[in-house]
Amino acid sequence: MSALNNVIDAVDVETYLLCNDAHDGHRLALQLGNEMNLGNVDIMFEEYDGYGVRVRIRKYIHRPAQKYHWLESESQ
Amino acid sequence: MKRILCVPFDPVHDVGIKLIRNTLAERGHLTELLPPDLSMEEIVKKAAASTYDYILISRTLGYGVAELLARFNDLLDAAGVRKTAKIVIGGKPITPELAAELGFDQGFGEHSSIDDIVAYIEGSAANRTTIQQQRIKPDITSQYFYSFRHKRIGELLDVIADKTLRWAEGKTTAGIERSQIREELLATTDPTRKKQLNDRYASLCDPLIADANTKKIFPRGIRYITDNEIEHLKLMLRQKQPTNQSSIRHHQRQPLIFKFLGSGCPIMDILHAKICERYGVDGFLIVNPSWEARYEGLIHGMLTHENDGTITSGENIALMREALHSATLLTVRAHRGLNTPETTLLAAHAGADLTKINLVYGSLGAGTDPERLTVDGIHAIKIAAQHSMPFDIPGNDELSGVPAAKSLAGLLINVMLGKKLCAKSILKPLFCYGPHIILNGQMKQNFVDYNTAKIRALRSIVDAPIWPGEPIAFMTQTEERVQSANETAFHAALAASTGVDAITIASTDEAYSRGPITIASRIDSIRAVTDAFRFVGDASLSPTSATDSFTDDLVKNIQLTLEDVVRYNSLPEAINAGALGSKEDGAYPGTFGKGTVLNSK
Repeated sequence: MSALNNVIDAVDVETYLLCNDAHDGHRLALQLGNEMNLGNVDIMFEEYDGYGVRVRIRKYIHRPAQKYHWLESESQ
Repeated sequence: MKRILCVPFDPVHDVGIKLIRNTLAERGHLTELLPPDLSMEEIVKKAAASTYDYILISRTLGYGVAELLARFNDLLDAAGVRKTAKIVIGGKPITPELAAELGFDQGFGEHSSIDDIVAYIEGSAANRTTIQQQRIKPDITSQYFYSFRHKRIGELLDVIADKTLRWAEGKTTAGIERSQIREELLATTDPTRKKQLNDRYASLCDPLIADANTKKIFPRGIRYITDNEIEHLKLMLRQKQPTNQSSIRHHQRQPLIFKFLGSGCPIMDILHAKICERYGVDGFLIVNPSWEARYEGLIHGMLTHENDGTITSGENIALMREALHSATLLTVRAHRGLNTPETTLLAAHAGADLTKINLVYGSLGAGTDPERLTVDGIHAIKIAAQHSMPFDIPGNDELSGVPAAKSLAGLLINVMLGKKLCAKSILKPLFCYGPHIILNGQMKQNFVDYNTAKIRALRSIVDAPIWPGEPIAFMTQTEERVQSANETAFHAALAASTGVDAITIASTDEAYSRGPITIASRIDSIRAVTDAFRFVGDASLSPTSATDSFTDDLVKNIQLTLEDVVRYNSLPEAINAGALGSKEDGAYPGTFGKGTVLNSK
């Protein structure tokens, strides 16, 4: 069973990406989500500082009113 | 009596083991404490030189320490120490599983208490009453008498409230009639009468709401929660219990902590709330969808919703109430829109402890026609009084640009209306970096002085509970996690310093508007506030002398605002004229329900 089934709502990933400019940082943050098999992620926060970008990206696994996999697996 | 060797197997840290040693010695055990920073061989030699029942080892874990401890255990074994003594390891990152893995007889970690260790050594059950078991439902209003300390302001409010109550006499709305129908529906068991009442209710609703209730045609994104989902939720809640329950408040005089619930889905809300309870949250506010305010009538049933805001049907409120700890407070937002009386009634019947009503903000910052909300709001306050349910008064009109003094004047009008209608109220000034403050520079130097001044001003005027919100630190938080947690924590420390009764706190993703709040972000801010409360303890932050002039200005301007309001025949007239916030300020009287006030006679 996938551990993602037990994520109550979302996965946040925070990191620092070395990059050339804010645009490059933004692109890398989105690419990171894909490379981590999270698919399309939201960029919650990004701040380019001349060296790279501090980012917080988020992927919702279970949104309100959807079928919650954890509800079934955790009540078995 | 046991013979116990206490070993600080750590280059520096030996405070914990000293505390344990002192307790064990006080209980009559024969204890020895070794000095810190002995070599492994020296400790083993000492342990082998006498006979001990227990060897308690204290150690923090770092790189390679696990291997070191495993070797230490082997040496104790080889020296024959383990033939008589049980070897116990303790330290922040230790878990029973890790201790067993490393070959120790027992392990105690961050969440263990000295009582646990004593109980282990003495072979008794630990005398631990959990925080959950100790919790008693707080009453925020019990210590207050609602007497007005500022004579002139009290007089003005008296006149304004009387005029407004007289103006509302003989007026009614579809919202009031629906609340009366709902009350009868809750009491009647006669199917014929129920049918009549439901038909009448539907006739008083907008078609969208009537269709949802009668034809089960729901607006997009809404559906019933299934029996299967409820069954699984209840089973899960029975199976899971909080462990290592913690408290946010360092002492009981610090403010109660509230959080919003309003993901859209009661099941998601409940799971978030249960986890927040474990971390010490004292209460929750159910926030309904903003569209609910625009329609006549409420959709009934146990409902889930894909978008912001949880539908405040009686069934949903009751489901949430049932799942929460009995001492956890629950408040339901009713302060705006066309369903204020019925929402208040449903909240009371479903077991909520508080409701949220503000006739001024609901009109000026939340879209409802002032006349409609005044008539509905007065009726809702009467319902709250009837059910001994206090109402809290959010001052979020400040976020539209209304100056703080006008917003606070609005809160006070609600307090006086409550007083006259025998309902207890709670003042909710904002701890925020609002537009008017930004433009006028009151927080140019710091965030302490002006927020403190708001509390002092209100205290100098009336004896009533104060609960800054909503949430604290509004407009100071960004989507950056640590920054957001810090702002919440600093404002919480300030709130604790000013001795307020409660606060509402954000999550570290509150400023992120493109998706629901997550539980991890809720825990972030709870942890930050817990540390802030520990940090400030019973000390306080010291405002500068600017606070005094801010306080004087606020009191003076509250009075001036009320001197202006009193010139009008009623509260709606004053609101429409801009006396409590004008178009120049950024406040516009709402239009939902305009022209729907009826003469009941």
